[in-house]
Amino acid sequence: MPYALYAFHKEGRMRLPKFECLEPRSLKEAVKAFAADPGGALILAGGTDLIVNMKHGVIQPKRLIHLKAIPRLAYISEGKDGLRIGALTTLHELVSSSLIKKKYPILGQAAKEVAAYVHRVMGTLGGNLCQGNRCRFYNQSVFWRGVRPTCYKAGGEICHVVRKPKECHSTYCGDMAPVLIAMDAKIKLVGPVEERTLSLKRLYTQDGKKPLSLKKGEILKEIFIPPPAGNTLYLKWRLRDSLEFPIVSLALHLEKNGENRIDRAKIIFSGVGTGPVEASEAEKMLKGVSLDGPMIENVSNQAVKEISPMRTSLASPAYKRKMAGILLRQALEKTGS
Amino acid sequence: MKHILKLHVNGEDFEILTEVNKTLLEVLRENLGLTGTKRGCDVGACGACTVLIDGKPQLSCLTLATVVQGKKIITIEGLAREGKLHPLQKAFVEKGAIQCGFCTPGMILTAGAFLDENPHPSEGEVKEAISGNICRCTGYVKIVEAILSVSENQ
Repeated sequence: MPYALYAFHKEGRMRLPKFECLEPRSLKEAVKAFAADPGGALILAGGTDLIVNMKHGVIQPKRLIHLKAIPRLAYISEGKDGLRIGALTTLHELVSSSLIKKKYPILGQAAKEVAAYVHRVMGTLGGNLCQGNRCRFYNQSVFWRGVRPTCYKAGGEICHVVRKPKECHSTYCGDMAPVLIAMDAKIKLVGPVEERTLSLKRLYTQDGKKPLSLKKGEILKEIFIPPPAGNTLYLKWRLRDSLEFPIVSLALHLEKNGENRIDRAKIIFSGVGTGPVEASEAEKMLKGVSLDGPMIENVSNQAVKEISPMRTSLASPAYKRKMAGILLRQALEKTGS
Repeated sequence: MKHILKLHVNGEDFEILTEVNKTLLEVLRENLGLTGTKRGCDVGACGACTVLIDGKPQLSCLTLATVVQGKKIITIEGLAREGKLHPLQKAFVEKGAIQCGFCTPGMILTAGAFLDENPHPSEGEVKEAISGNICRCTGYVKIVEAILSVSENQ
């Protein structure tokens, strides 16, 4: 392993490499600095993902652009057309917001599933949505990774999950994205030339090495959620009840009409693909039906066919498949009643 | 290249000449000698490095020292007032919630910030609040008792 990276873990701890840290006072300034340095700069908000990856030496930005000094990027405001959340709103602010508890409780519930109390105080909604993909071969220290060639995602040639070159199967493990996609959330991105609004689902490329579809210099500014309709559930399966990323998690959104038949269904998984995974065929099966035992069974079996978990964590793909089916069954039984 | 950091820690102002790439944990321990804040995992998974920034808990191992200039930083050393222990420190001692003591600074600061927002929590809420602070020694029972005893007395 290169000596320069070895220096990271001298004295048994992880020193950060040298970098410049900018603290712009406006989003415009931040975007300009980011666009000017596409290869070497990264955005810093809470730091609970980025700084860890820097300590592990898998990313080596020459420049960090710290967003938390920019005013008016953290807010939760409701209008006639829906809810607007600033990207720098912390997860703890989502959990504590009385507006969210009253009108969009699933958002606070999902935010509370993320990590633990202190991570939610530091971590932002924008950061959670833009978190890096994860893999047992990637999210490790220089020391740990030194026993194998550098993996493709970390700048090498080969993916150790499939032992093939130029592929990346790292997993998307975020908690907020499945819920927000299920609620049809949109995001506003601010770039050097233009602002654009798109559905949150389109932020994710499903490419493990480059999971976000952000263009050069673009920074996530705001998340928009339409007025609440129907019922949204988020079930997170993990070994501990805190701290951990999901083994598999599920956001289920159901809207029923007057005859108790499903008008609209959204089934979004985390932990089972290179991005959030929507089980669209299973969703189609639910349209117009009334939930009963056999239907729930069929839909769960179909949804499991639409996910492709890889061996990127301690949990086997077979286990993830099984648990995904069980979670969906539980969620459908819960909303059916 | 070094630059001067202006940090406000435990009620005092400090000027520290250091590199940009230092975490708050490194600056507190190495430049200021405040070794009460501990390096456990160094990657934000154990909570031993927790400090309070403007009253809110933060993992100092994942915080760049340069971004907390001008903010009010409190470490475990800053909790006692004029030699008098904070109620949480007293409760931890009295309830036997300290064995090796390594998790204790982070545990107490997290609990303190939590009780400020949630003065009368249930046992489940306390457990949830400290779930980011790992303790290898005590099994958490006495820690939860100590925190609950402080909330009951408030």
